[in-house]
Amino acid sequence: MDVFFEQYFDISLMRENFGIVLEGFWETVQLALISAAIALVWGLVLALIRQLPGKGTAPARWLAIAYIDAFRGIPLLLVVLIISGSFPFLDFLPEWLRAPTWFGKPDIFWYGVLAIALTYGAYYAEVYRAGIEAVPHGQREAARSLGMSHAAEMRHVIVPQAVRKVIPPMLNDFIALMKDTSLVQVIGVVEVVKVGREIQADTFNSSALTLGAILFLVVTIPLARIVDRQINRQQLRLQRAAP
Amino acid sequence: MTAPASGEARAPMVRLEGVHKRFGSLHVLRGIDMEVERGSVVCVIGPSGSGKSTLLRCVNLLERADGGRIWLEGQDITHARREQLRFVHQRVGMVFQQFNLFPHKSVLENVTLAPVTVLKRPREEAARRAEELLTRVGLADKIHEYPERLSGGQQQRVAIARALAMDPHVMLFDEVTSALDPELVKEVLDVMRRLARDGMTMIVVTHEMGFAREVADHVAFIDGGVIVEQGPPEEVFENPREERTKRFLGLVLEH
Repeated sequence: MDVFFEQYFDISLMRENFGIVLEGFWETVQLALISAAIALVWGLVLALIRQLPGKGTAPARWLAIAYIDAFRGIPLLLVVLIISGSFPFLDFLPEWLRAPTWFGKPDIFWYGVLAIALTYGAYYAEVYRAGIEAVPHGQREAARSLGMSHAAEMRHVIVPQAVRKVIPPMLNDFIALMKDTSLVQVIGVVEVVKVGREIQADTFNSSALTLGAILFLVVTIPLARIVDRQINRQQLRLQRAAP
Repeated sequence: MTAPASGEARAPMVRLEGVHKRFGSLHVLRGIDMEVERGSVVCVIGPSGSGKSTLLRCVNLLERADGGRIWLEGQDITHARREQLRFVHQRVGMVFQQFNLFPHKSVLENVTLAPVTVLKRPREEAARRAEELLTRVGLADKIHEYPERLSGGQQQRVAIARALAMDPHVMLFDEVTSALDPELVKEVLDVMRRLARDGMTMIVVTHEMGFAREVADHVAFIDGGVIVEQGPPEEVFENPREERTKRFLGLVLEH
């Protein structure tokens, strides 16, 4: 048991390395926030394509469904590896896209962001869909009977209500996304887990990993509480609205 | 039968001819013929499940008829697409049993949304008109409230104002008082009475026999997807010819 505590809870080692671990965690946070922002937009686009009316749009709908199924079915780790492995060889892309170094971040950072956003875009699309389908049918009928086009109906009536409904599941997925950012260390991004493992290799002590875990909890536990509060509030609202 | 002669002004507001509607194996409308004159109020009565609401929803194309034809101001709208669909939705206003107000928008926004997005009216103009309409339905003081803070009767009156904001030529009312507490029914019916008096063409599906008798120019009794009997309210209510009408009226007027 002593070995366990020494290995994972060496306070002085944690204190010594707090600065670099925190720096790694900041990289994790940036990865998570940028990927989530892109995934939120991409997921909404996918969900809206899926809702397109009419026969002529069927191919677009199938493509969206195929995409969602594919990216929900492939492990994120593989997507990370495939993107980082293949992107540098996509000759038809201009240099700034093939090996982006925006905001002073290395290309591997952006490959990681892309992989996470593509994968979570598929998850978010499903969450949006659930939200859109949860808007009562009468809302669509009211919009349609007022002469609103499908686009206006989506933009002004359905999506604003759907988004409100899906905030809790979105936050849940964000927690999952944030944890999954640790996968991009395999392509060399120095985020919190990578930092922890490097310290582990240098000192033969794993306490920096524990510190990383604690930093995660500092963010994820409050998020989980917020999700709960939101769900409770929504439930109250539903009870009040019921006739 | 041929399509009505051109000359929109003389054509009835709404005309249905042999309209059928099926939902899977359920044959809801079995040949409906009906004419609604400009400025007239037609009340559609009948037992639950008789097809009243479906009939109404076929008129503004929320449901597509499987057979027969439908004219709006002389235009055949049976197979309306795009442009014509817009024509229909702008001419025909609808009020629903469950109000269907937009819960995330204020009363004012509920009323101005369609004029601004569909008719491209300037926001101030739409707001001015909305205020006027909300005053007319007695809700000038609720303009900035959200629907969840209103009573059912108030919500339904907002819904009427919302439909009127599109300047429809005909209004459809689908059992608009059925979801209301009894003490709130009158305020909604009063608004409808006034609307009828002002000359609005209305098709009203209702269980309020008193309202139908008083306001309707024409009453249609539907049962089993067909119009069993129709005529002026005095006739249908006082001297029904058909057995089924007598039985239905006996049941609903008794209590």
